[in-house]
Amino acid sequence: MASSLTASLSPSTSSDVAKRAELSAIDASTKVPTLFFLGSSVLWLLVGTLFALISSFKMHVPGFFGDIEWLTFGRARSLHLNAVIYGWAVNASFAVAFWLMARLSRAELRHAGLLLAAAIFWNIGVSIGMVGIAIGDSTSIEWLEFPVYATPILFVAYALVGAWAVITFRFGKAEHIYVSQWYLLAALFWFPWLYSVAQIMLIFEPTRGTVQSLVNWWFAHNVLGLWFTPIGLASIYYFLPKVLGKPIHSYYLSVLGFWSLAIFYNWAGVHHLIGGPVPVWVQTAGIAASFMMVVPVIVTGLNQHLTLVGASAALKYSPTLRFIVFGGVNYTLTSLAGSLMSMRSWSEVTHFTHYTVGHAHHGMYAFFTMVMFGSIYYILPRVLLKEWPSAKLISLHFWATAIGILLYVGVMSVAGIQQGLNSNTLPLDASGQYGSPMPFLEVMAMTIQWLELRTIAGIIIAIGHVAFAINFVWILVKARPAGVTEPTLFRNAPDLEVVR
Amino acid sequence: MPEWFLYFVALPMAMLVVCSAVYGLYWASKKGQLQELEAGSKVIFDAEEPEGVPTDHVLNQPKVATVKKA
Repeated sequence: MASSLTASLSPSTSSDVAKRAELSAIDASTKVPTLFFLGSSVLWLLVGTLFALISSFKMHVPGFFGDIEWLTFGRARSLHLNAVIYGWAVNASFAVAFWLMARLSRAELRHAGLLLAAAIFWNIGVSIGMVGIAIGDSTSIEWLEFPVYATPILFVAYALVGAWAVITFRFGKAEHIYVSQWYLLAALFWFPWLYSVAQIMLIFEPTRGTVQSLVNWWFAHNVLGLWFTPIGLASIYYFLPKVLGKPIHSYYLSVLGFWSLAIFYNWAGVHHLIGGPVPVWVQTAGIAASFMMVVPVIVTGLNQHLTLVGASAALKYSPTLRFIVFGGVNYTLTSLAGSLMSMRSWSEVTHFTHYTVGHAHHGMYAFFTMVMFGSIYYILPRVLLKEWPSAKLISLHFWATAIGILLYVGVMSVAGIQQGLNSNTLPLDASGQYGSPMPFLEVMAMTIQWLELRTIAGIIIAIGHVAFAINFVWILVKARPAGVTEPTLFRNAPDLEVVR
Repeated sequence: MPEWFLYFVALPMAMLVVCSAVYGLYWASKKGQLQELEAGSKVIFDAEEPEGVPTDHVLNQPKVATVKKA
């Protein structure tokens, strides 16, 4: 399978005409980069969780690590965000994306070295960025906190992944481009655009005034919508029918969902600036686009629901399905909530409150992270040719993260609405005179109970992460059972084995 | 931020992205990717992992066997 990069870039001139590869051979060919990306992602997940807990404690115990410079709230919170986004989520999404690309293209993974180099570059970049934030070099731009000296390395890593994806796609043996491939290719294409424009317009040659905030939220929201969302949906559209052994209910709807997301999402980020000093027509366009997102969201939600109908008993047996379905349902919920939040009347209550923090976690965790967990539970046994060692740990992982994140989103939403209403409402006395709104510090004090509950939710989630990490290390070190020659033997429940 | 960057780099890049999406849709239509859509949903199944056979039954395995045997 060894071939030069130039041959890979132009398959028509290559003499290396591969035959349609077996799935097991494709899985095995992805082993080295998959393990590197996933191993790093789990490590960053634990680091990110630790900083999440530290930041959460600080919200109700301000003195907690208060005299350690690099653990002050501004740094700990940014370290949390960047560790979970660029460390955990991007590493995991790279692994899942190229595993899916290889499988869907029906081609063994070519140039694994390219991906391995990308993985090493990416993780060096994230490590440098994290140290940069810790020593106080953060850029102070949300979602782009990594200092300038870290980002070029990240960009090189990304370029390598992009080049690899194009090669794999061009060498594909599949005649039809499955909907997941549309999502993956689009995401791999969109991200460098977003990241490079945002870096240039915010860091290297910053724009002036409010344009900065427009670019910032165009970038930050589109990373969710044009990178994490397509990869999450690509995974759902592959694993949901694959685990059930049943095609998705309506392929037509899935394609409609893809193209409507491609058209509408890019506009929606401005809704973070409603009421801000940017032209009203820009805000209105953002609100309109946010509402148009109802189309792909409903389409995707309906499709997932109708696929699962009649086969939901499988939720009892398949870890992948549990996580994927939980993520899918929360994709629908968080996206619809997002559309509503873009309304001016809604935004004036919840904007700048804990509600937004809850919403962000609803999207990035209850949807995306849960889908990634589900995908990893499917991918790793097939790459390593051994099954997960402990079903109990998987159950613990699922229930801890599911309950934890629902509690988290719930308490943050209540806290945010309470904050918003109390800050906005002017009390009316008996004589018909309006008084002053509740003082800021009193509103703050009211939220402390919710912030404490948030920490409890965080601890529950952390327990789930530790269970996942233990199982992850365990599957890596445990011996492969004798006699297993191909992954199918452990894929299915005994009575569901395919006899050949 | 020099103004030329907006007009000569950022804007053309954005236009390029939009045009490539339009071209993608045109290409998909020309190549017949949008024909027979329902058949497309089955491309993830093959002889090795055929349609109708669930995969990934890890949890509660003995229970599955009992239910099916009964």
